Amino acid sequence: MLMIRSANTSPQHLCLTAAFLAFFNLAAYAENTASDFMSEDDYMGEVPKVLTVSRLSQAAADVPSAVTVIDRETIRASGIVDLPEIFRLVPGMYVGANAGYVYNTNHAVSYHGITSAYAGSMQVMINGRSVYSPLFGGVNWSELPIAIIDIDRIEVTRGPNAASYGANSYFGVINIITQTSDETPANSVVATHGSGRNEVFYRHAGKLDALSYRFTADYRQDDGLDDRNDFKRMRFINSQADYRINLKDTLEFELGIADGARGEGNIENDPFVFLPRTKQINNHYALIRWRHHISDTSDFTLQAFHNYDKSDDETTSVNLRPIIAAISPVVAASLVNDNVYVNNAVVQQRTDIEAQQTFALGKQIRAVWGGSVRQDSVYAPNYLDSRKTDYFNLQRLFGHAEWRLHEKLTVNAGALIEHNDFTGTDTSPRASLNFKPHPNHTFRIGASSALRTPNYVEEKFRDRLVVATTNPGQNPLIFQYRANTGNLAPEQIISRELGYLGKLGRLQLDARLFSDKISDVIRDANRTDLVVPPNAVLLNPFLGADITTNVNQGGAEVNGIEFQANWQLSRNTNLLVNHAYIHIRETEDGLKLDYTSSAPRNTFSSLLTHRFNPQWDASLAYYQTSEADLLGDGNKVDLIRKSDLRLARKFQSGRYNGEVNMVIENLFNNHYEEFADYNTFKRRGRINVRLDF
Amino acid sequence: MFNQSKNNYFVCKNLSLLALIAHLCCPALSYAYTGITIIISAPSQSYLEFVDHFKEELIATKNTALRVKVIDLQDSERPVVAENSELVIALGVKALEASSKLKFTTPVLGVFTPLPTFNKLLEASGRDLGNFSAIVLDQPYSRQMLLIKTILPEVKNVGVMLGKTSSQYYEIVKDTGEKRNLNVSIETIKQESELIPKLQKLLDSTDALMAIPDPVVYSRETAQAILLTTYRHQKPVFGYSQSYVRAGALAAVYSTTKQLAKQAAEIAIKTQAAPGLLPPPQAPRYFSISVNYQVARSLNITVADEENAYRKLLDAEAAQHE
Repeated sequence: MLMIRSANTSPQHLCLTAAFLAFFNLAAYAENTASDFMSEDDYMGEVPKVLTVSRLSQAAADVPSAVTVIDRETIRASGIVDLPEIFRLVPGMYVGANAGYVYNTNHAVSYHGITSAYAGSMQVMINGRSVYSPLFGGVNWSELPIAIIDIDRIEVTRGPNAASYGANSYFGVINIITQTSDETPANSVVATHGSGRNEVFYRHAGKLDALSYRFTADYRQDDGLDDRNDFKRMRFINSQADYRINLKDTLEFELGIADGARGEGNIENDPFVFLPRTKQINNHYALIRWRHHISDTSDFTLQAFHNYDKSDDETTSVNLRPIIAAISPVVAASLVNDNVYVNNAVVQQRTDIEAQQTFALGKQIRAVWGGSVRQDSVYAPNYLDSRKTDYFNLQRLFGHAEWRLHEKLTVNAGALIEHNDFTGTDTSPRASLNFKPHPNHTFRIGASSALRTPNYVEEKFRDRLVVATTNPGQNPLIFQYRANTGNLAPEQIISRELGYLGKLGRLQLDARLFSDKISDVIRDANRTDLVVPPNAVLLNPFLGADITTNVNQGGAEVNGIEFQANWQLSRNTNLLVNHAYIHIRETEDGLKLDYTSSAPRNTFSSLLTHRFNPQWDASLAYYQTSEADLLGDGNKVDLIRKSDLRLARKFQSGRYNGEVNMVIENLFNNHYEEFADYNTFKRRGRINVRLDF
Repeated sequence: MFNQSKNNYFVCKNLSLLALIAHLCCPALSYAYTGITIIISAPSQSYLEFVDHFKEELIATKNTALRVKVIDLQDSERPVVAENSELVIALGVKALEASSKLKFTTPVLGVFTPLPTFNKLLEASGRDLGNFSAIVLDQPYSRQMLLIKTILPEVKNVGVMLGKTSSQYYEIVKDTGEKRNLNVSIETIKQESELIPKLQKLLDSTDALMAIPDPVVYSRETAQAILLTTYRHQKPVFGYSQSYVRAGALAAVYSTTKQLAKQAAEIAIKTQAAPGLLPPPQAPRYFSISVNYQVARSLNITVADEENAYRKLLDAEAAQHE
């Protein structure tokens, strides 16, 4: 029975089936034609507002300061694997791979000198999210959960620009902008293998109606340099999404999470307490941004973000008994433990909410104004000598206007008023005039002032080693590293410049004469008035060790010239050349000795790229840095000459696109030292494969 | 003012043969009309404005004898028209589709209709061109190119993205560019996923992007990606609507409702006596331009004020027909 039913092949049944199929096909056909049928809406329909005033940046000729834009193609051609390396292509920027004794794996990146391992004089943002460390003011470059291949471009403002970018926009501003999900292929896989370096990357981008999104996952490991405990491992996932609510409102989301391990400690610097060890890092961040289009000439943006950076770091000293026995056998005998344990964990957080309105007044004036509130917090029991989390609040109001007085004349003016817990209320103004006598030539004259609020390390660094004893009269022993007194004033910079921006045939030139006057310099100083509890013994005098604090002392002038030239030699060949000459002069007594030599006198970089055919291309980068004597864990290093060569082949097969490339860093194998004499670099090579589908 | 047939070159190339046959076969099957029925797809603002401007135009030209009746398609699925004594003006694709089913002798003029859709309806309805025509929404490519040259005189290389529908105009776009001394590079896509990679490729070798409507390429969903990508390449987009300019295109030529109404009224008056001889489908005769000065400023492009640019464009268009 069952069989008969299922094998029902009566003519009637066949007819019905045929009719159904015919109907189904017709329906499919109708649907097809309907979607192909263009309607008046395809021509006249409303389109979401995309390039609204807040998204439109100033034209290079109208910008009030010197800006270097490093695009995706330049990043690709440079062959770098560590993000801060790219700043070698910014005139006046110093990059030292593998910096100091703490944060071994970090790069020192500074502009116009005053370079230390913890160089904290720049505002650094990823898609508008400020990522410099509240603790030491610099950036933990190696801990940023960002993949180089996701970067669309990097805009570097050379010179202070607090009026537009707020706190820490002191020597310069770095804004890293990632690709939107619309711009990326649906899937990408990248693998890198080479001298001590391995990395794998996967990215997926997609679209669900009004939501477009991208996920990136990355794993990397790097063995670091010979003779240093500076290996790093990290894995992260980050994501970016845009949701279009309607034609006028968009929500943007960014999320990321990372963890990994880092080598830390240096036996030569400290053979007793902070020994070579491994620390664990855990970071995450979240950002939400609402863009609202008010009218054709006005936009409103509201954004909030949160950063969380944690490093677990514990260290146990060597046996201290023999060391103390050399001073006093009696005290040594009274030690409770042979070793001292230090909890050097650091948790840094930042929460920031910012609102801003961008608008145009007629065709001549464009302006932006807004305000933000921020709370930074630091938990660092060793650095701050407190088990409590410390909070730092900052509020700011800012405004900036561009006024095109005449076709040939643009005025920019702006100011920032900032209030923070460390230094109270400060104002940073700026103004400039751009004169464009010819569409291809622009001259700029400008002045800008900015204040650098001391960071936690400068204001509150008070770390000591406490050694417990059983001796009732002398209990305990204290070794004091630093005992910062706090109450520092902000460091101030007044920067004046004369700039030229020109297009001479195929050559684009950006030249700048500058003079930065720095006062109230925050520097290290010895402290002699430290009082320890009556029952404790201070070990420093016995060991001949100074106790350090920070003070505002001295002033300097940084003068120089820098230029950047981009020369399209032929359709397939391009040459990028940067040079900076920097001279630091003491103008007020009291600077540290090596302050004036903390920037190389000359930095030069160039990148030559050539495309042989649609498949093959090559690039040659050359970097030269004159000798310098660097601050904060750094020391004297000689002239550096380094050449990197990159050879790449693109391929395509069906829907697969890809590239294989090979990079040789330090082609001539010069054994040079960077930042300090304990960072020695040799030749390294890598191979990199990318597949998009 | 303009030589119409040259003006509508790209429409005619497709349809001139059909038009000729139509003219030869059925020259006098219809009657002079005494009234005009405007069928609207929906009571949208632009359609209602069209009706007002159309009536004003008839009054201004002293053609008050022509009655004007309006039918909203949303009220009646099958519009009732006095089929032998009326000219039907169909506003929008839906209205034109409904009108294409009227008696073959009733002259129908479509307005607010894309050219590819008009062609499809013409074919589907089996009607003759003499009784079925349109003022299409498509601006002539030559006019768009002249706008590019007016605003950016130094531009040599223009990029065009075509989709499934617009790819049929590949040759015409290329030829028009050649005649205007522009090197037009074209990328054709079949699906949206190809859009951005091909656009990026195109932008590497061109100075500006000229938008030609196609639902696969230019839609509400793709606007953001297209405008952001071109902006990041610092290349301007020349759009086809005021809306696209407001969204971030540098400039566009487009026709206002009033301009389309004026042109439709001229056709109505001219063909009143011989309704079977509607002119062939034509591009908008009157047009406006729109410039996004914020975008121009950001791209460091100096654009004369709209009126000056418009006048320049009119002169250039007149010059090319001399």
